[in-house]
Amino acid sequence: MILTAHNISKVYQDSHRTITVLDGADLEVKKGELISITGQSGCGKSTLLHILGLLDDSDSGTISIEGMQVNSRHPDAPFIRNSKIGFVFQFHYLVEDLTAAENVALPLLIAGKNIAAAQEEAREILSRLGLQDRVSHFPNQLSGGEQQRVALARALANKPSIVLADEPTGNLDPANSLEVWKLMRQLNEELGQTFVVVTHDRELAKLADKSYELSLGKLTLL
Amino acid sequence: MKSIERFYLLRYIKSPKRMLMRFSFVFMVLGIVISVGILSAGLNLFEGYERALKTVLLDSFAHIKIESGGGRFLNQEQLERITKTLQDKPEIVSLTPYIGINLMAIDSENTRGCVFNAYHTPEGKELHYGKFVVEGRAQVNDGEVVIGHYLAEEFDLKVGDEISLLYPQLRRVTPLGVSSDIRRFKVVGLYRSGYYEFDRSLIIGTLTDARNILFTDDPFAAVEIKLDNEHVDKAKELASSYRMGLGADLIAYPPLSGDLLRIVAMQKWLIFIVFSFLVLIAGINVISAVSTMILDRKNQIAILRTLGATAATVRKVINYQILLVCFIAIIIGQAVGALLSLLVVKQGFYRLKGEVYFIDKLEHYISAFNLVTVFMVASILVIICVWIPSRQINRLKIIDLIRNP
Repeated sequence: MILTAHNISKVYQDSHRTITVLDGADLEVKKGELISITGQSGCGKSTLLHILGLLDDSDSGTISIEGMQVNSRHPDAPFIRNSKIGFVFQFHYLVEDLTAAENVALPLLIAGKNIAAAQEEAREILSRLGLQDRVSHFPNQLSGGEQQRVALARALANKPSIVLADEPTGNLDPANSLEVWKLMRQLNEELGQTFVVVTHDRELAKLADKSYELSLGKLTLL
Repeated sequence: MKSIERFYLLRYIKSPKRMLMRFSFVFMVLGIVISVGILSAGLNLFEGYERALKTVLLDSFAHIKIESGGGRFLNQEQLERITKTLQDKPEIVSLTPYIGINLMAIDSENTRGCVFNAYHTPEGKELHYGKFVVEGRAQVNDGEVVIGHYLAEEFDLKVGDEISLLYPQLRRVTPLGVSSDIRRFKVVGLYRSGYYEFDRSLIIGTLTDARNILFTDDPFAAVEIKLDNEHVDKAKELASSYRMGLGADLIAYPPLSGDLLRIVAMQKWLIFIVFSFLVLIAGINVISAVSTMILDRKNQIAILRTLGATAATVRKVINYQILLVCFIAIIIGQAVGALLSLLVVKQGFYRLKGEVYFIDKLEHYISAFNLVTVFMVASILVIICVWIPSRQINRLKIIDLIRNP
């Protein structure tokens, strides 16, 4: 099992009310699976993904990545985020001042790889994703679909155990959305890359191996 | 330095326009350049002043003086004893017996207290004050004098003119007291040592004239000793050792007290401390620039943290970039300071007041020690000013950064 989440709860509190976003959600992800999570807007899909990615804490429950129980405050959390988890966000979150290749090289550099080797590897990953002509382009010189593919390349740079994608097509037109999904499916099939994809698009979600729905704080397999 | 930190630093160096020239940085850099420039210029000028004063003092004054106890003139036996004891000392450059008299220069409008010195220079030896005679000649005959150039200016005298000297006639006592006499001397040279007091009041004449003024047959009042450069700073210790060898009736002492130079050195470092506060004030701009940069780069910080960089690594990534700019600004500031001090020295509007500062010419000197000191102090202040605000990166939560890009 690559990732196990058990009994995850998360409650937000403001001055007037208490909002239970996650209420004992459970999830198991096996190696090589492509899983989608759907749900209504504001139901807590992103929150769940942030908790699974050790970016946020749950109020209760446990998360294990490759058998190791961790959370965002774990001393090894930065190392795990760097080496075992890849992230793709709705807004591509590329560094505007860096080229596509430099953006993709970031996780490798954080891991301690030397600059030349990291950039070479980044160029190879971009080529594999069909972006060989865009390696020296800055994010603002790329289309939305290209930006998201660069973000995907960055997520894959350190060959993570799992890629967590939060609405990766949320900002794209239908054609580009389908293309990004196809790319993830291709990577899943060819490289055995494990994906957990949060989306509000039920049609695209059907392209996954397994599809869960998050409702009232719980995950239900569709 | 980790790969990611080195990468960002190199990236900054490679494309300064894109990465460095941010608006908040301009004021930060300006603040550092100006404050370090002023600090460096102040230090260069004080260093120059200290060195110029030391050179002038050591050149103009005897390093050691030997006198007879009780204010009496040296007799022949004492003079021979001094010569015999000290003539073979390798550290002694010159040993000059002389007579010094306090008298007054007068004309119809001015009166000035002066010192009339007469030196014994052996045949064939160079006159030790010769290098300071800037006009006319250094060699004086009976009835001739070399005078300080400020004295000449004050009395409107040129080489070839005559100066009247008023002195007491110690052997002509009247019921009204000691009477005085006036004698006219021909000015044959003008003296300029750089030491204001000497340039204003020194008169150099012959031994015969000096003895005539004093009505004495005694050979000399004292002996002036000049030491070589290596031993100048040890004048006090050497004077003590000479005193031991010369006998109880003779006193050897360094006439130049080190207090003046010590005060000047202390002033220099006081100025340094005061001007260092300017760098500290410039540091406020640094704090502001770092805070702005952290706000500007919340996205980047979120990305790096998400990709697995620790808060410490992100802090270093940002700090190294700002410190690089600051260090360059400090070096530019030092260059500006050097230029500024040079301009101050070269300008013709302001001169030092000799009666206050002992010398009348501004000097600057760029010492390696001062350069390193300014760089170190400014760097430490800047590092502190970068370090303090960058700690807020530790407190930023990744999830807040992602949710509120």
